[in-house]
Amino acid sequence: MGKTAYDGTPRHLLCKRIPTPPFGDWNDRHYVDYDEYVATGGYVALRKSLAQSPDAVTQEVKKAVVRGRGGAGFPAGVKWTFLPPVPEGKAPGDPGAERYLAVNADESEPGTFKDRLLMEFDPHQLLEGIAICCHACGLNKAYIFIRGEYYLQAERLERALAEAYEKGIFGEKCVQNSDANSGGGPRFRVDCYVHRGAGAYICGEETALLEAIEGKRGYPRIKPPFPAVEGLFGRPTVINNVETLCHLTLIMDEGAEAFMAQGVESTIGGPPSYGTKLMGMSGHVERPGCYEFELGIPLRLFVEEHCGGMRNGKAFKAAIPGGVSMGILGTDQYDAELDFDIGRKYDVLGLGTACPTVFDEDTDMVAVARNISRFYKHESCGQCTPCREGSGWLYQLLCRLTDGDARAKDLDLTLELAESMGSMPGTTICGLADGNNFAMRTIIQKFRSEFEAKLKPAFVTATVGAS
Amino acid sequence: MPWITKDSGTINIDRRDEPYLNDTLVAEIRDKYLPRYERKAGALLPALHLVQHQYGWIPHQAMVEIAKLLDMAPADVIDTASFYEEYWLKPKGKHVVAVCRSIACEFCGQPELTDAVREHLGVDVGETTDDNEFTIIELECLGSCGTAPVMLVDHDLYENVKPEQVAEILTKAKAANAH
Repeated sequence: MGKTAYDGTPRHLLCKRIPTPPFGDWNDRHYVDYDEYVATGGYVALRKSLAQSPDAVTQEVKKAVVRGRGGAGFPAGVKWTFLPPVPEGKAPGDPGAERYLAVNADESEPGTFKDRLLMEFDPHQLLEGIAICCHACGLNKAYIFIRGEYYLQAERLERALAEAYEKGIFGEKCVQNSDANSGGGPRFRVDCYVHRGAGAYICGEETALLEAIEGKRGYPRIKPPFPAVEGLFGRPTVINNVETLCHLTLIMDEGAEAFMAQGVESTIGGPPSYGTKLMGMSGHVERPGCYEFELGIPLRLFVEEHCGGMRNGKAFKAAIPGGVSMGILGTDQYDAELDFDIGRKYDVLGLGTACPTVFDEDTDMVAVARNISRFYKHESCGQCTPCREGSGWLYQLLCRLTDGDARAKDLDLTLELAESMGSMPGTTICGLADGNNFAMRTIIQKFRSEFEAKLKPAFVTATVGAS
Repeated sequence: MPWITKDSGTINIDRRDEPYLNDTLVAEIRDKYLPRYERKAGALLPALHLVQHQYGWIPHQAMVEIAKLLDMAPADVIDTASFYEEYWLKPKGKHVVAVCRSIACEFCGQPELTDAVREHLGVDVGETTDDNEFTIIELECLGSCGTAPVMLVDHDLYENVKPEQVAEILTKAKAANAH
């Protein structure tokens, strides 16, 4: 059993080589090349996993309960077990037995900026995670789908990949294809490529991401079939977030227990929130930036102790826990713990990417809602009508509110519209509209008086002397 | 807004004799990108990136040439290209100034930043300067919320930008080679 509450001691697992307060200064951050990575204990986890059977690696990851760091929080080890076995008599990569890994590095959620850190400064950690995953699941090709705007990060990844190919992590003479693969798993060639996106938020949705790699419009697919069975080019495919894969290095190096010693148990009977998490703090705080903490850290402690408090000594008003899709924490929810229980405990969609955006007392919440709704209007892929049309209507309604032209019924219409779109009401294919739905709903519920203050006064006909 | 109807494949295509996909580009697509994907269409996004990198935008003729190289229908190439915001299907300025307008940036000084860029260049968001040097656009989250407001000039990200720094940044960008 792990802890039930955050104990206040910062620990760095992902940021071992990336200087991050309180242990380092972020001005000292630099690109960690292959030699430096190996000198600081890199690629040990990969060799340790290759000495085990793929199944043993999967079981270890499953035991550690690595919940997906991309926002949904689905345990990575469980996801891997959905893969069908490699056809008998074939190795991964043989014709008809291709199996893929798609790495989700399409970090486009407003407020989120954590994966960029890993790719910019310590890309070998990701590559090692990829190699471990390919061994565990028998995947012969990995595509790192990185968003188009991350030019520098894509360059750094290419540089690290060139080093990794040269040192025999990937390619013809890769570790999976050598004597290092002594755990009884099949031997096969593993390749890894960077695939750049081109500016579409929806490509962060796992099936839209696959479509983008296939060279199509980023339209999410109807599930089932799930990607584990029929994914990229119709083959079994694993899709994991950058940070999730980076965590594999610790688990395979020091064991699942080392990972489970971090983070907290659920206090409401749900699955646990083990491990540390990169948390990118933005908004009205003194020292915004990307930090690493154990899951379960209270937002107040994060802001007051590590980010230097609210900017200019202002008071806290609201916060988005991890990307705008997750909804908003109200003024009385400053003490919310950042773990996977947050959704059920504080009436938001979930933890998301655990990159909070904090607003001070001067913030106009109607303007926040308008900004968020504009984002969804802009990024809806247009496949499902409720999302395509609804997001536009919501934006128009919020513009009307900010302009002071809205009537009371417009506020109810906004709520009704928001509640009717998304995969939870069952009207859309993917969860993009659910994000819109939750953001609008929580923000209006928790700050309703501000919205009402913007309403145009209603004219009431009063007849004098009538009885 | 990828679902807003853009110019379709039925409009007249400006043709030129010299192909846009020159031998170097063809070789790069064929030798570097095609082997990576199980189906040829997988190389479409990288191919479009290459063409845009070379010419600054993606002419219709280039899309037809890519379609031929990848065994696709030209309509499928246009279908994909018109979905992604980063692909320019019309000529743009030599440099693109992209100001992030998402949540953290908007509440940490983006409106003032956009105004400063607009004022410095004398054109509005979505427009190109008369000398064809700069195009201003506003983008959704650029993924650097901790250093808001941010702005992307060509491939360089500028963080914690103050309105008074705009002139210096843009002068520097103008002096550097366009991407």
